[in-house]
Amino acid sequence: MLLELIQGTEGGGLIIIQDSIHYSGRTLLMSFIKAALKRDEVVHLLAFELHEEELKHELGHSCLQRLKFHNAFHDPLGWNENPPFTVHQFITSELDSLLTSNQHSKPVTLVIDSFSFILRHLSPSAVCKTLQQLKKGGAVKTTLGLLHSDMHHRNMVGSICHLATSVLTVAPGHQCHEAVAKTIWRAKSGKISQAMERFSISDDMTVKVQSKPVPVGSGQGEAGDAEVDPTANLTFNLRLSDQERQAKEKLALPFVFSKEKKSALLRPGPGSGRILYEPDANDDYDQEDPDDDLDI
Amino acid sequence: MFPELNAILNTSPDNFKQGELILVSDRRADASFLVHHFLSFYLKAGCKVCFLGLAQSFSHYSAVSQRLGVSLTQAKEKGQLLFLEVLNESLDVLLQKTSNTESQALDFLRDPAVGLRGLYDFVRASVSDSGVGGEDDGGGGTVGRWGPPVLLVDDLTVLLSLGVSVGSVLDFSHYCFVTVCSQLKGNMVTLVRCEGEEDEDEDGDEEGSERLLKGLTHQCCLTLHVQGLPTGFCRDIHGQVEVCWRKTQKDKPSNQRKLFQYKVHDKGASFFARGTSSAVL
Repeated sequence: MLLELIQGTEGGGLIIIQDSIHYSGRTLLMSFIKAALKRDEVVHLLAFELHEEELKHELGHSCLQRLKFHNAFHDPLGWNENPPFTVHQFITSELDSLLTSNQHSKPVTLVIDSFSFILRHLSPSAVCKTLQQLKKGGAVKTTLGLLHSDMHHRNMVGSICHLATSVLTVAPGHQCHEAVAKTIWRAKSGKISQAMERFSISDDMTVKVQSKPVPVGSGQGEAGDAEVDPTANLTFNLRLSDQERQAKEKLALPFVFSKEKKSALLRPGPGSGRILYEPDANDDYDQEDPDDDLDI
Repeated sequence: MFPELNAILNTSPDNFKQGELILVSDRRADASFLVHHFLSFYLKAGCKVCFLGLAQSFSHYSAVSQRLGVSLTQAKEKGQLLFLEVLNESLDVLLQKTSNTESQALDFLRDPAVGLRGLYDFVRASVSDSGVGGEDDGGGGTVGRWGPPVLLVDDLTVLLSLGVSVGSVLDFSHYCFVTVCSQLKGNMVTLVRCEGEEDEDEDGDEEGSERLLKGLTHQCCLTLHVQGLPTGFCRDIHGQVEVCWRKTQKDKPSNQRKLFQYKVHDKGASFFARGTSSAVL
């Protein structure tokens, strides 16, 4: 499902990549941008947390040329003169003028890095309103944004994700260069699909999915893959050969009451103790063996 | 400067990465020894250092740096070090005695809601090439002698306790990063101190310092997190440092992490892999 989202076959809408301090979703965001540029789409990037140098590093010069980069990194709050783009310009009217400045008939993708920065300065309701208007407006086919889920209250994250067509939550994987993506996709019909996939991103920003999507909630499929044989790689031997296994099974355990043991106990051995009992006047001595009815 | 830490971070005063934001944090421990390390490191590297001293006085840093082989007084006289002694200046600001550039930088003390724009303007003036601001400025020529600018802040949590909001501190940090690291290719080192346990599922009532720590972790390139030993107090091992590289050369979020234990001495600190303390071996 992750690859379908990146290839854009799922029809656009609002895609949110949720990350945390343990794993940054920015590289995945770059993969989306590169895939959109390959499809010859018009990509606008509102970069609040990313500067052009870093972007050049990641995407390469040729991609950067084709990307419409809006520098919101240098002065997002207007503290200096002539800010290129401020966070307060994230309203429908300003965005419309920004996006329709080029007269193309190609589909437009708007990428926002990151929503967290905008949410720190604008109210969530205003942001939701703008996103909803972008979705309905028709100027933008796909809106894609990065959200640091650990920076905000759960409710705020929830309200933004509620608007989204797809939500990708990324987390570090077990292996070094792998990560895990949990995807939730809402189809136009209302059907919701979920999947959890392991992926890795190569140097040229292509995403490789390592495992087949596991529907979320069908148990921990991940744990099975990572099982390790504990008897391997030891300096001592923990395994048994066939002979050893047979000998082990033949061995009689000391406290198990088997047939041989019982007959050995019932046979009075030489020198075994005998009890001599002289009954007192008050004792009710019954010669009968009280254990006679037991069937051992 | 601690040679063992330089080896761990793979840097030296002659060869270090530029344009980096280094986040030093601690949880129920004291990471200020790392601030002294970075201060002496960048002074030895010949960088122009702007130090915002919010937690201690100048004489404290001077005394410690003396033991590390660096003279802060000399650096200040030469113009290599610009030290904003907030503890000293704050009294003047609150009593409204004088009005100079330093007191304008601290106008958030009287009204925290104003934010840290004044402080950012002070930092920008200190590190920029135009060299505007500061009475001891010897003209535009002094800045060119030194290497890339470095901003050191000790520590950001003090701002939170003075009533500044987490959002304002994050904005201040963003702007300083833009100016110092991105535009001037310098470095920035900040210290954030946390209290209490780290709770992954805590939100809403999260303490300001936790949110600040998370916000800065997203921005930074390298974090050094100092904690006490999980097993308790030890006389020979003062704690553990977790070094985490967030962005490598190719910007792959490989999040390489290394854990070391340390001991602070009179004239430095030694770092060693877990379980290899000289007291143990």
